[in-house]
Amino acid sequence: MDWIRTLLSRILSLFRRNRLDGELDEELRAHIDLAIEENLKRGMADQQARTAALRSLGGVAQTKEQYRLQREVPFLETLGRDVRYALRQLRRSPSFTLTAVLTLAIGIGGVTAVYSVVEAVLLRPLPFDAPDRLVRLHEGVEHQIDSADLPAPDVIRFARDTQSFSQVAGFVSAEFEVSGAGKPFQARAERMTASLLPLLGVQPMMGRTFTQKEDENSAPVAIISYALWRERFLASPKALGSTIDLDRRPYTIIGVMPRSFEFPLDAGRLSHRDMWVPMSFTPDEKQDETDNFQYGCIARLKAGATTSQAQSDLRRMVANVEAEIPPQFGIHLTSNIQPLKEETIHGARPLLNALLAAAGLILLIACVNLANLLLVRAAGRQREFGVRAALGAARRTLLRQLFTESLVLATIGGLLGVALATLLVRAAFIALPESLPRLGEIALRWPILLAALGLTGVTGLVCGWAPALASIRPDLIRTLRLGAQSAGQSRAQNNLRGVLVTVEAALAMLLLVGSGLLLRSFQKMLATDPGFEPRTVLTASLTLPEHDYPTDQKVNAFYRDLLQQLAILPQVSSVAAATNIPVIGIASDRAFVPEGYSPRGGQGWLAVSNYFVLGNYFRAMRIPLVEGRYFTADDDRPDAPLVAIVSQTTARQHWPGMDPVGRRFRMGGVSKSSRPLITVVGIVGDVRQQALDQAVYPQMYEPLEQSHRQWATEVQSQIPAYHSLHVVLNTAGSPSVLQATLEKTVHRLDPLLAVSDMHTMEEIVSASETSRRLNTVTLTAFAAIALALSLLGIYGVLAYSVTERAREIAIRMALGSTRQEVLVRILCHALMLAGAGIILGLIAALGLTRFLSSLLYNVKPMDAGAILGAALVLGICAAAAGLSPALRAASVDPMRALRTE
Amino acid sequence: MGNDKSDVLQGTLDLMVLKTLESMGPLHGYGIARRIEQVSDNSLTMNQGTIYPALLRLEQRGWVKSAWGTSESNRRAKFYSLSAIGRKKIEEETENWERIAATMSRFLAPSN
Repeated sequence: MDWIRTLLSRILSLFRRNRLDGELDEELRAHIDLAIEENLKRGMADQQARTAALRSLGGVAQTKEQYRLQREVPFLETLGRDVRYALRQLRRSPSFTLTAVLTLAIGIGGVTAVYSVVEAVLLRPLPFDAPDRLVRLHEGVEHQIDSADLPAPDVIRFARDTQSFSQVAGFVSAEFEVSGAGKPFQARAERMTASLLPLLGVQPMMGRTFTQKEDENSAPVAIISYALWRERFLASPKALGSTIDLDRRPYTIIGVMPRSFEFPLDAGRLSHRDMWVPMSFTPDEKQDETDNFQYGCIARLKAGATTSQAQSDLRRMVANVEAEIPPQFGIHLTSNIQPLKEETIHGARPLLNALLAAAGLILLIACVNLANLLLVRAAGRQREFGVRAALGAARRTLLRQLFTESLVLATIGGLLGVALATLLVRAAFIALPESLPRLGEIALRWPILLAALGLTGVTGLVCGWAPALASIRPDLIRTLRLGAQSAGQSRAQNNLRGVLVTVEAALAMLLLVGSGLLLRSFQKMLATDPGFEPRTVLTASLTLPEHDYPTDQKVNAFYRDLLQQLAILPQVSSVAAATNIPVIGIASDRAFVPEGYSPRGGQGWLAVSNYFVLGNYFRAMRIPLVEGRYFTADDDRPDAPLVAIVSQTTARQHWPGMDPVGRRFRMGGVSKSSRPLITVVGIVGDVRQQALDQAVYPQMYEPLEQSHRQWATEVQSQIPAYHSLHVVLNTAGSPSVLQATLEKTVHRLDPLLAVSDMHTMEEIVSASETSRRLNTVTLTAFAAIALALSLLGIYGVLAYSVTERAREIAIRMALGSTRQEVLVRILCHALMLAGAGIILGLIAALGLTRFLSSLLYNVKPMDAGAILGAALVLGICAAAAGLSPALRAASVDPMRALRTE
Repeated sequence: MGNDKSDVLQGTLDLMVLKTLESMGPLHGYGIARRIEQVSDNSLTMNQGTIYPALLRLEQRGWVKSAWGTSESNRRAKFYSLSAIGRKKIEEETENWERIAATMSRFLAPSN
């Protein structure tokens, strides 16, 4: 109990310091007076009495000091004093302080922000119940379809027959025209089985999920997203139970999902789902045993079931399906299981890993830089320490003050780092490519912040202390005698700093090479010809609801009328419609077999991405004709021969060494089918089917009017017309001014029809570059920071060595060395440091850049241009960093420098 | 000053102060210091100043109390007196000290 009382009383006394000091003074004065009184009584003289009194007290100052130690909390008191001292010291050398604080802030802030993003996207568990038990099922056909989704009947079958899954659910995306809730629009929806939400363990924020019965009975119910609820229903609770029209059929809203809910997770902000509706498989879907592998399927592992058990369970179920296929087809089904998490983050991994590595390197450089700064500073202060030690400062005190100084520095840098990290995380949320999954979950992660703070803190302590420890060693006299110029400047310390700077330069070199590779990739991407003219083209997509357009005649009549009305507009030079569109379209696998084709590699068919086109598609997109002819109006006649146009890549890959014009083929994956033969009449240039940095995919174009007649005669009547088409307008002027006209023309034909995804092709191409632009900008920014930090290091070392060697330089000059020679000498030192860094960095790059290869486009991981560029940038910048110290050295006045010694 | 004087043993000063206050009643710092010197027959080398941190220590523990008063010569001074806890503690501390002293003297007794 005594110690608590003591501590309390000590702490209280901190706040009454002045009064207590006064009391002590008075008490001691009384003591001395009483002593003098007694001494006088004993017969001493005045002066003698006083001296004796003071002597027996043992010194007023010492008594007060001891008394204060007993009175207050010595640790707190000295800490306060040391912090004030440290702040004063730091203020006295602002350039050192600023550099060190910025270094710390950039290192800590950068790595924390990047890690926070990586954590949200890659590492955090999915926002579902027991997410590590969730898997996604895949099926495929050997030699034909690689690990795709499932045909609809298998989703039903697997849910019924499984042994190792507790639940199985299917989903597939769908688009609906939404009316009855403000302006009509095209909604992205997901059809899902009733088991899906219970399987994920997710509840609606309001209302309920649909039941098994509603799923089976095709009940018209919908669950809407939080965003849609806010936007279209103004967050009103009355939205529940109200009705909206999906493709002009009324649906009742039964639930609103929470804000954070996203499913499927594989896409990001752009593909937010607006609503979820029951899967309600149609009879056609249930019987569709063809290769329609497009239904997503996830499952939850039963308690105790392992992934490999589930894998063999799936293999068993797939084998049962295969047993029902007539053996003469020679179809062998494959299957596999992927953890849902793995599936979700797969595409984002290379970018995020690169960013994480870059941020780690920055932190490392920051630590090295800090070490260097502190070493230089400590070396410069050796004389100060020497003097203070000589004046009686305890070694313990000096070390404690250095410790406090490092701590103060780390705290300021750390706080700035936290601020920077917060800013960066916010910026990342806005700027990151929308293709990243789970963007909405990004938030600052404290554990990594603490780890980064810890790392830099330890660096600061070690590097602030070690040299000080060395310099306070007993050899005081020597330290003092050597004077400021060379105080304790050991060769070993100099070498250590050289090594540190070299390491820094090497790390910067590594990042520069990485960013150089990405910059070259980006440049190559920008220089890539998309295969069409994006500047004059406007596009939009239309989907005619089945409900109002039940027959092919109605669909065809609508599009024919639309194209006609658009074609007569004065600004429009050509107009067309197509089932597919470059860059944002689908690289679909449409199978065909050329006449006389002999299967290669066990695959009996070839695949292309296909476009059914209506109108002057090639002229509208400005796709050049290479050989043969474009489609003409004659091809649209009902008795015209079946024709197709192929792209150059298709010609090269699928008719190797032949001229495809005039050759024939059949659609479908079987060579001896009853489907009619189609003749190739032309070859056109390739277009980029996906972003410009993705590989070129073989393409084929066919007239939309012939799409039925490619099938065997007996099934032609069952093939539905294409309700969704992309409209393509080529204009003489700016395509964006046509937007309102296009919308007006569409609404004259159908006032309810939504015109969606209206963009100029230039916008579409530019949007497809966003993700690479961001990779490149981010990594280049990291490289720039690394470069700046390492140049700071080079500058620091040179600047210090010039100050320290002023005498040596003066002697050299006195002995006839010219200013130019001195300048060159210092610059050479800078280049040597940088050169060693470049070589080291190059060796590291040789081993490491291959990890970047998945992010590169048309550039090899060992691209000479990128490496040379990086070396050049580093070299030039190092010379620039060395210039100021070199000039200072060259301007040394030999007489003055020698005299001040 | 000769070598026959000894330093005040750590921790013993507190007990001396307590004992002094017990026998003399309320007393100022100088008085306590003088009394200890007299009782020890001037055989202790002690800066009188060290009495003050010791008094503060005892006060912080709540063993002594202090109040401003006037000395015999009409000088304002701070007077210290034992608290209730202090009185109790004297017994404990005395026993403690006696035990240590007894142990020490057994060690120091001429062995036969």
